[in-house]
Formats: sequence, C-alpha cells, structure tokens
Amino acid sequence: MKRTVVPMGPQHPVLPEPLVLDLVLEDEKVVDAIPTIGYVHRGLEALVERVEYTEFGYVVERICGICSFMHGMGYAVAMEKIMAVEVPERASWLRLIWAEMSRIHSHLLWLGLGADAFGFENLFMHCWRTREAVLDIFEKTTGGRIIFSVNKIGGVRRDMADTELAAIVDTLQQLGAGFAETARIFETDPSIRHRLAGVGVLSREDAHAVDAVGPMARASGIRLDTRLTGTHLYDRLEFEPVLETAGDCLARVVVRVREIGQSIDLIRQAVERMPKAEGAPIEVKVRGLPTGETFERLEQPRGEVIYYIKANGTKYLERFRARTPTFANIPAMIRLVKGCDLADVPNIIMTIDPCISCTER
Amino acid sequence: MANPFSLPMVGRSLRNLVSRPATRRYPGEARPHFAGTRGTIEFDVDTCVFCGLCVRRCPTVALACSREDRSFAIEQLRCIACGVCVDLCNKDSLHMSMETPRVQIHAGAAPGDPRPGHQEWHQAQPAAGGPPGPGDPAGGVAAAAT
Repeated sequence: MKRTVVPMGPQHPVLPEPLVLDLVLEDEKVVDAIPTIGYVHRGLEALVERVEYTEFGYVVERICGICSFMHGMGYAVAMEKIMAVEVPERASWLRLIWAEMSRIHSHLLWLGLGADAFGFENLFMHCWRTREAVLDIFEKTTGGRIIFSVNKIGGVRRDMADTELAAIVDTLQQLGAGFAETARIFETDPSIRHRLAGVGVLSREDAHAVDAVGPMARASGIRLDTRLTGTHLYDRLEFEPVLETAGDCLARVVVRVREIGQSIDLIRQAVERMPKAEGAPIEVKVRGLPTGETFERLEQPRGEVIYYIKANGTKYLERFRARTPTFANIPAMIRLVKGCDLADVPNIIMTIDPCISCTER
Repeated sequence: MANPFSLPMVGRSLRNLVSRPATRRYPGEARPHFAGTRGTIEFDVDTCVFCGLCVRRCPTVALACSREDRSFAIEQLRCIACGVCVDLCNKDSLHMSMETPRVQIHAGAAPGDPRPGHQEWHQAQPAAGGPPGPGDPAGGVAAAAT
C-alpha cells in the first residue's frame, strides 16, 4: 500500500509545546513515527559554567514552568549532598508539601490539556479553575505562582505558620471534594471512554522494555515511583503508588486523577506529622566551595527525574545534567503511536504528558 | 444513544448556567495580591550605603551601584524578582513591592529610550547640594552617614 508521510508539529493545535512527529501512514493507520526535538533548546545546562553555583538554582527553576519547584528542589538537594549539608527538618517537610502541591497543579493542568485534546473544552475549563486555587496557595506561601524561588542550598527561604499549614490542608481537602465530581466525569463519561478506552495500550512488558516512568508506567501496572525509596521524608508517610493495569489512555488519565487525591492526603499527613516548630530554623549557612559529583532522583509529576552534578572546587560547577521524565517516555510514545489510527495520535501524545521545555532545557 | 441527562457533565453544566463566572473582567477588575507576593523591586536611596552586596549576589546582574558616584541602578527587564537582594540588604533599602507595572518596558524611560526598564538613583553629596539626579523624584537627598 502507498505510504504517506504527514508531519505533525511543531505547531499543532493539540501540542502545548513544539514537538515534531513525522507520521508514516498507510491509509489511516500509522506504521511509523519519527520524532524530532530541539525547537526550544535554550542551553540552560551550559550556563552552569558561567553562573555561580549559589545562583544557578534560579536558572534550574526556569527549565520548566510546571515542575519549577521540583527542579529547584532537585538542584538544592543534590548540592546539599555534595557539600555534606544537613538541612533542617522543617525545611525538608516544607519542600515535601510544596512538591506535592506541584504535583496537584501539574496534574490539573494536564487533565485540562488532555480534555482539550479529546475535545471536551468544558472539562478543560473546570480543571484549570480548580488549579487556580493551588496557584493561590503557592502565591501566598512562596510569593510566586509559577516560579517560586523558594529553594536554596541549605534549606528554604520562606516558612509557613502552623495555622497557615492547617488552612492549606483545609483548602486542599475542599478542593479535593469539589474535584471529586470532575474526577467522576473523567472516569465515567461515555464520550471520554469512547475516545480513550482501549486506545494506545502499553502493556506491562512493553512499559518495562521501553523504560517508561511515572504515571505512564503506573498506568501499565508497574509499581515504579521514586517516592517509594523513602527519601525526602516520604518514609515517614503512608504511601502506596496509584496503579492501573489497562495501560491505555484512559488508565493514564485515571492514574493522574487519583494521584491528585493522593497528593492532598500526603500533604495532610505531612502537616500532621511534621513537628509543630513554627519559627524553627529553615536553612543552614553553607560555606565553602563544592567538590565532587552526585546523582539525585526525584519523582516529578511526569515521572522520575535524575540530576547529575559535578563540582570542581570552584564557584562554577563543571557539569549539570537533568534526565527528565518526558525524555524517558518518548520511546513509549513512539511504540504506542505505531499501529494506531491517525485520529488517536493527539490523545496518545498528550497522555504521556509531554514537557518539551524540560526535555530540551 | 445515551440519555443526555444521565451524562455526568450535564448536571455541572446546568449549574454553571446560574453560577457566577470564575473569571474577572481584567483589567477593570484585578485580583488583589496576597501578602508576600513578589512583584517589583523598589529602592530607597535615602538609606543605601552603597555596600554593593546586593549587586554581587544578584543572579541576573540586574543591579549596579557605585560608591564613588553614590549611584544605584536597576534594570527592571533583567530582574527576576527572586528577592535575594531584599533578603541581603542590611539597611532595608530594597523592598519587594507587590505591584507589577503593566507597561514595564518604559518604566522611568521615555518611549524610544535606548535603555527601557532602566531606573537610576543618585544620592546627593552632603556638601555639594547639586542638582537632583535623573530618576530621583525626591530631587536628591543628603548622603547617609557611613
């Protein structure tokens, strides 16, 4: 049969960021897909050679506007490991709370974009309206809605009052209760099921084979979550990752929907279990210059991110590298796209939650 | 075909018909900022001792100061409002305003100015009593004792 190549992207109504897929079609079936990235490469990693290590945290945050807190946290934690700095416990708890809030707002943003991708614009608006409440909490507690600038090597720059923490938990629980109706729509609406169920199925074996991470892997039944390692105080919380077994687009949506409720519960647990020590130190003074290298892993909303830092005893780092979850999930996306209908390609691309800014840095 | 009234979104949509909008008529109705919001850096030339600590630590090199000229400058278009300078300043000369001016590119500069977003202050010498520096709306002040 005659083959046709349809370029999809870098500008496409469904793509929030520039990604090119050259789709090789036989009639309406996709038989091959060739990805091209590199449209938003900004050279942020190379900046590490010209920006002092104390200031590079502000650059790292700008890798991505959605995971900005997690990037700042990952850099700070990795540098603290290199410099053997023990961070005050309260700072670690605050980081955990902000990190889970990042997950909530990232998933809400994605659910909106996903709804928009399968043509449910009303639902898109509901998700983004819910997300505004989370951004309000960020603005109250960090001073920023997207870029927070609250992490620093040695701790965090802002504290939260215990009453404020309790109020945040109340607000998030109300948000969760209000979101339950939206969640029910995602899980039960027949038009959504018709569009997503059975589409883009990634089996458990395939997910293993292509090293899928994050909700992509968990939707295929793989119990893979960096939070299970217990680092960053997650060992003090009761945590079990959300798993689905279907591995299709709907399962990936459902995993993210349920992770919102789970993150709200993790924040509630954190507020309950963190010492009531308002006014306790939230940072330690960091002196000297870093020497050595380290890896650091975090569970971002899209999956596992890995940071590599090499320091050479000067105020400029020798190397900074981030392996982002979207990069890890692109092979899975390509595997899913092959064999699907052309009309399903946008949904499959969206359900990996692609963040091209993170991937290209 | 499914009964439309059994669809889970229908009830929500009907409620939306009578509920208040979630959006505002911006800019007529602007959302108030929360306490602690990081907006724009403000500078108080009266209290600055031109130590240069903020200049050295600014991640984007948005600040400049000269102890000899007793001048201070902010490039608002470079500033990322991280607040590092505000935290560092021992004299409380730098403050974080919650306001974010909408037309930032012409702050303190005439249209067509080659340095949009550039703000500059000059602290008058105690004995000189010279003319006020550009961008100093107070018309120059006596230098603080250092």
